[in-house]
Amino acid sequence: MDLINVEDLTFQNCTKHMWSKSQVIFDLGPVSFTLKAGETLAIVGDNSSGKSLLAKLLVGLETPKSGTIHMNGVQLNKSNISVRCHDIRMIFQNSNESLNPGLTLGTILEEPLRLNTKLNAQQRSALIEQTLRQVGLMAEHRFFYRHMLSDGQRQRIALARALILNPKVIVADEPFAALDPSVRSQAVNLLMKLQRDLGLGFIFISHNLGIVRHISDKVIIMKEGKVVESGKTDAIFNWPKDDYTKKLVESHQALVNRQHN
Amino acid sequence: MVLLDIKNLTLEIDISGGWVKALDKINMVIHEGQIHALVGESGSGKSLIVKAIVGALPYRWRITADRMTWKGQNLLTMSVSARRKIIRKDISVIFQNPINSLDPTLTLGQQLKEMLPTDKLSKLWFWQRKKEKHALAVKLLHKVGIKNHQLCLDSYPHQIASDVVQKFMIAMALASEPRLIIADDPTRGMEVTSKTQILKLLSRVNQVKNMSVLFVSHDLLAISSMASYMTVLYCGQTVESGELHQLRKRAFHPYTQALLDSAPSFRKDLPPKSPLSSLDGTIPTLHHLPIGCRLGPRCPRARKECVAIPQIRRVHTHFYSCHFPLHWEAK
Repeated sequence: MDLINVEDLTFQNCTKHMWSKSQVIFDLGPVSFTLKAGETLAIVGDNSSGKSLLAKLLVGLETPKSGTIHMNGVQLNKSNISVRCHDIRMIFQNSNESLNPGLTLGTILEEPLRLNTKLNAQQRSALIEQTLRQVGLMAEHRFFYRHMLSDGQRQRIALARALILNPKVIVADEPFAALDPSVRSQAVNLLMKLQRDLGLGFIFISHNLGIVRHISDKVIIMKEGKVVESGKTDAIFNWPKDDYTKKLVESHQALVNRQHN
Repeated sequence: MVLLDIKNLTLEIDISGGWVKALDKINMVIHEGQIHALVGESGSGKSLIVKAIVGALPYRWRITADRMTWKGQNLLTMSVSARRKIIRKDISVIFQNPINSLDPTLTLGQQLKEMLPTDKLSKLWFWQRKKEKHALAVKLLHKVGIKNHQLCLDSYPHQIASDVVQKFMIAMALASEPRLIIADDPTRGMEVTSKTQILKLLSRVNQVKNMSVLFVSHDLLAISSMASYMTVLYCGQTVESGELHQLRKRAFHPYTQALLDSAPSFRKDLPPKSPLSSLDGTIPTLHHLPIGCRLGPRCPRARKECVAIPQIRRVHTHFYSCHFPLHWEAK
């Protein structure tokens, strides 16, 4: 049984003029993939290749032009948006700027609970404490503000905000890009541990092919809005078929190999 | 020949009444034609060192050093104008964030032509000089691999893709044909193909023109593909420095080892999805620096003696400062 099943998802960004024909600025897709529970999917590509857009389409921030997203066999559309909000959560690109500096972390975490669940205040606060512990912070951190935390801790809060509704899929837009090496491996370890424990499906965007190779099961390679190649990580890294993928893998390998001699 | 020689560089910053040592006894020697890597996490003072070398720090901060010389001339005691002359001619910096460090109100062409040194121009009359400048600018852009030179010269920084602007910054740095290029995190946030292009460009410049490069970054993969010598910083202290292959083979400081281990692509034997090794905790802020060895609270090998600042010890060309180095018991 597939956890999430995306078929022929497309998106078009057009300029609208009153009289003349509308011009297509950006064309995404068609994108199709499937993901099972506990699997990791990585999206790799150039800048402005539509990776972030695909992530936004999955969470429902943008409406696709055509194509379907099935989750556990149920199609996601406007009528069941509450299910989608509950089951697919997103970690944004810059965890530093996506947290409101004027609210305490407890309030930030409470917001999705108030909007999506019918828990009362007591249950909410218990859940917040539990989630904070889950990502390796303390219950007291709910009274803190954004500026009191370090980069790694902010990343943990962003993760806690995604986890608090107990989702089935987490979509992350470059979650490790802004982190330093030693903090980054902490974050990677935490994500892998949570994925093992909770059976999350994890979709992430990254430039770092070392990490992609290490933690993902499937890879989608994108270029200028089109899927160039997709498949198992092993197969793509060892036997790339498309020219662009070859170039990517080779340039990564060149970096890795040059240091060995 | 030694280009830049820094010994015991200390930088103190005034933070709410107390003086904090943001850089603590940094040592660094850059030879001619060498690619020297400076590694450290954010907040370790990499960019501060770069700014201290070119003299772009605020006057109220205290800079002291036993020695800070450029080809034997002391940079700290010379007059501001003399220092500026040296830096204009011999040192150029590629700044961290290219779009923010360029002037948004001028076109890229105007900025590049401003960087061209006037003593390179041979012609006399202004219209001839204008043409010559344009030709030189186009040549520079071709050198760094920007093919569509006219578009690049005519547009403003925000109109151009960020990796092209990065290449343009390198072209600007090469304009005065310096002896030392300081590249402050030139590959941050780039995907692999443009990253390799920029690294190739820098190493080619190093080989062809025999320019030294000080490569500042925390991307170990990029560093180890081109640098020959590496200095590792942690919270404003140099923890280890030495030849890159020596450091990779046998790192003495626990922090260096943790850095090397944290990059998954460094190790071929690592099975997928296995946990990566990492240090606990995070980098301390300037307000809460631990005394003694600043790695102390995060170090797995820390003991009581670590509250004293460790002496710099030396094995051949390999310097490290740790009380209880790795691989020590084996000897």
